[in-house]
Amino acid sequence: MPVQRLGWVAYRQRSFMAGMAPALMVLALITIAPAVYLVLTSLTPLNLTLPNTAWDFSNPAGNYIDLLEDPRFTRSVWVQVKLSVSTVILQLLVGLGVALLLNGGTRIRELARSGFLIPMVLPPIVVGILWKVMYAVDISPFHRFMAYIGLPVPSLITDPNWALFAIVIAETWEWFPFTMLMVLAALQMIPASPLEAARIDGANNWQIFRFVMFPYIQSTLVVAAIFRLIDSIKAFPLIFVLTDGGPGDVTEVTNYYAYRQAFTFSLWGYGSAIATLMVAGIFVLSWVIDRLTGAADAEAD
Amino acid sequence: MATARSRISRRQMLRVGAGSLFIPFSLNAGKAPAQGGKKPFEGVTLNISCWSATYPKLIADYLPEFTERTGIKVNYDTPGFPVYNQRADLELSTKGSGFDVLNVTFIYTSRWIGAGWLTPLDPYIKDANKTPADWDYADFLSGSLQPMKDKAGAVYGIPWISDVLMAASARFDIFKANGLGMPDSFDELDKAMQVVNKKEGVAGFSVENHWGWTFIPFLQGFGGNIFRNPPDDLMPTLDTPEVAAAAEYFAKLLNSYGPEAASGYTYDQVTEALRAGRVNFSPHNHAFCALMGQEGSKVTKTSNFAMIPKGPKGRFPGVASHGWGIPVGAKNKDASWEFIKWSMSKDFIARLTQKHGLGSVTRKSLINSDAYKQRMVINGVDTGKIFLDSIAMSEQGYMKYRTVHVYPQANAQINQAVSRVVSGQMKAKESFAMAQANTMADLKRAGVKF
Repeated sequence: MPVQRLGWVAYRQRSFMAGMAPALMVLALITIAPAVYLVLTSLTPLNLTLPNTAWDFSNPAGNYIDLLEDPRFTRSVWVQVKLSVSTVILQLLVGLGVALLLNGGTRIRELARSGFLIPMVLPPIVVGILWKVMYAVDISPFHRFMAYIGLPVPSLITDPNWALFAIVIAETWEWFPFTMLMVLAALQMIPASPLEAARIDGANNWQIFRFVMFPYIQSTLVVAAIFRLIDSIKAFPLIFVLTDGGPGDVTEVTNYYAYRQAFTFSLWGYGSAIATLMVAGIFVLSWVIDRLTGAADAEAD
Repeated sequence: MATARSRISRRQMLRVGAGSLFIPFSLNAGKAPAQGGKKPFEGVTLNISCWSATYPKLIADYLPEFTERTGIKVNYDTPGFPVYNQRADLELSTKGSGFDVLNVTFIYTSRWIGAGWLTPLDPYIKDANKTPADWDYADFLSGSLQPMKDKAGAVYGIPWISDVLMAASARFDIFKANGLGMPDSFDELDKAMQVVNKKEGVAGFSVENHWGWTFIPFLQGFGGNIFRNPPDDLMPTLDTPEVAAAAEYFAKLLNSYGPEAASGYTYDQVTEALRAGRVNFSPHNHAFCALMGQEGSKVTKTSNFAMIPKGPKGRFPGVASHGWGIPVGAKNKDASWEFIKWSMSKDFIARLTQKHGLGSVTRKSLINSDAYKQRMVINGVDTGKIFLDSIAMSEQGYMKYRTVHVYPQANAQINQAVSRVVSGQMKAKESFAMAQANTMADLKRAGVKF
């Protein structure tokens, strides 16, 4: 009876929802519920050492007002911006460059491709330890070599002018293979005919890249940049292992500041407010990028 | 009597006889079982964690012995200090049963005890069935026990270490060759560093970059403090001229006499630099200094030790105690106590000191024993005496700042403030004014009223 009354479209819609319901419930349980809890916690002054603060909603905007007046928070956002922009640009350039070098079918290139993937599949803490050794002046092969050739390099991770750059280098080393992999896949999708035509027309390598290959891989680069930009905001293990946010606070990014407030000081309400703002920021960033790239794609079409 | 005796039947005699067989077992409750008998905690598994230090790492090798005695199996780990503290803080705050025995970290003592996250141990210590008299609770150093108690005197931890900051010289032969003794004051230290730095390619000075620990004897030596009157008045006092002067002095030691990247040295890097003779002088923990006299050290015959130098306002050697405690949510508290009893028994600690050179122990009987004293003598210097003298000094109460529940906040700010000064980002006055403002904000957020 309901089938007749609802009609085929409504019936299909209802069946579709019924089929989706279990998956949506699991999704709600593991994703939305913690997010809701995060937002609710951010509206309380929850301090683990003071249990009565757990559901105290008497001043729901308190943490957010505090954040506006907290210079360490704004400084951490600025550090985050510098880190994200630098790592994304470097990862795109290095990933693109290596992908162009490895775009081909020789055995050596195939082996090199696998080799270049290693940093990306290493556990982040292992990458941190590896770079800790690289930056330890006493034992680092890099520092020893530079000293040997008469160009000693000061410790990068204890120098406030270089510490963030040291993190950027390590982060780039770890994640440029992601861009490389995506670009390589895009390069291999380019049909042979336009490349051949360009060569016959006398185009040099730069012109082939700029006017034939680049339009093909442009959207892939944008997608890679979005992924890396969002991921760069999660940069944590390298900072934890290499600098602990220092010297001073020059490498204290926003999530590290949130971690310090929540895990070191037990101020979970304040830490949750920082995390909530980060989530909101990532949403806005994704939306803006999506709009911009959508507009660009429409224009290209 | 004859009548009564005649009334006891053969069956009754057998019952009494059989019952008497159980008497030794009932008297022995809580003690090691007889060989081959059922062990008292058979089937129990404990989850135990402590930060990575010499003593907890040594214990790992002896756990099969504990299991053999009691039947208790142990899941055991020793992560790094900051990782351990964060994990334990979070676990304790949930009052969960994830861990059965945890280290009670010195800077968290007030927070963890005050919040009711640990189990009072007095019922175990005072119960003769659970703790034999010869385990001897009174044998622990009172200075080590003090931070493990609440205001009412209830005990929440059994201290396994009391560590002190002392002065260590790895290449005292260079000092002697230049007519210098161990520096006894900040002035003497600065003058000595000017002379010995880079002699024979050895950097003069190094110190662990946990400034919230290693900088404080200098801060207090110049007359500063972290709070106005801890634990009652927690107004931070980091923006005083004394603190700025101490920071300038400290930064000069590191930047003028330290090795390359001195500000990045962790405690193990300092220890290894001393043991290898790459660094000459360091204010360093007694437990780590003891390793300068152990196998693998290149400086056993050139080292010297003394109390931490005094400043214009006195001498303030840092003293910190860590102990075993039982989380309030632990499910097998009796078994947890068995572990603590075993791991802190006189015999066991004595074995660790004799076999592995374990230092900074907390049992008076051991510290006063000839065997231990001999082990603590390195190149003719009695480091055990320096240890005891430092602990005695701390009983004046200048370490109270460290056990207040918001010290982790101040600790983080001091670390950052010193780091800014040492790395040249800011002048000492400016950096510590910022630390003062930040600490006040953090403390207010933690519910401290000014």
